[in-house]
Amino acid sequence: MDKYDPEKRVGLIVDEWGSWHEVEPGTNPGFLYQQNTMRDAIVAALTFNIFHSHADRVQMTNIAQMINVLQAMILTEGAKMVLTPTYHVFEMFKVHQDSMLLPAHTSFGTYEMENEKITQVSGSASRSADGKINVSLCNLHHESDTVVECEIRGAKVSGISGRILAADSICSHNTFEKPNDVKPMSFDGFKSSKGKISVELPARSVVVMEIE
Amino acid sequence: VETAVHAHDGNCKGCRASVRISQKEIDRIISEHFAGADVALADDATYSLRMAVCQICEDLVYGTTCRHCGCLVAVRAKLAGKGCPAYSDKWEKIA
Repeated sequence: MDKYDPEKRVGLIVDEWGSWHEVEPGTNPGFLYQQNTMRDAIVAALTFNIFHSHADRVQMTNIAQMINVLQAMILTEGAKMVLTPTYHVFEMFKVHQDSMLLPAHTSFGTYEMENEKITQVSGSASRSADGKINVSLCNLHHESDTVVECEIRGAKVSGISGRILAADSICSHNTFEKPNDVKPMSFDGFKSSKGKISVELPARSVVVMEIE
Repeated sequence: VETAVHAHDGNCKGCRASVRISQKEIDRIISEHFAGADVALADDATYSLRMAVCQICEDLVYGTTCRHCGCLVAVRAKLAGKGCPAYSDKWEKIA
């Protein structure tokens, strides 16, 4: 599209993104009812950060689907309801809505497994209408922590707060019996000095920090 | 041409996923689901009673599936610890 529409007059709407796994055992295969784990949360965060990096072109995106089907945010059974790890990523990333994308120049290590290589960390940043900077980071690695060094240019750092979504296993998930095994927690794994922020990202984690 | 072949080869999950499940398919799912599984199963009498309730329930769809949880009732009814997802005592009432 950059070749045929360099002025970016045409926007992209990305419909029905998300992971598609085998259905939960014992459920109707046609209903596409699948569990949702920390792995799906990482897929969601990674996908959001990719969308953010193309904010000049991507105008709307829609996950497939919201409730009980595919990478759902909510699972129900009769009157019971459980929020999935993917739900929590949506909730954490809402600070980016209606905000201005900030250019992020990134250099991260490599996550290598079974001869495949991908960048270990995904990130994006935006500034909200009230001037706060929100940075979202995701450590894709299933077992290795990492440290991210951030340098904020053009703004003074007076305060930082954060939330993290992490779990004991990449397969951790919420059930009707244990609905809060995976949920956002307060995050303080960062140090700030002279405009630079050092962030300790645990393995398989999603972090959103608010910088004032 | 490639797309047409893909759409009909039956290997794509989107192509093979159907809400209408044959008894043979249900038998296969039950066999796989419980093979070596360390779960408490309902006894045959309880299972039969549960199935009788589900078979006349207005929330049974496609003759196999509970509208409230998407489960195949033939599988759910086999699990001792499970109940009706919509009405907690519906199965117990007939036990």
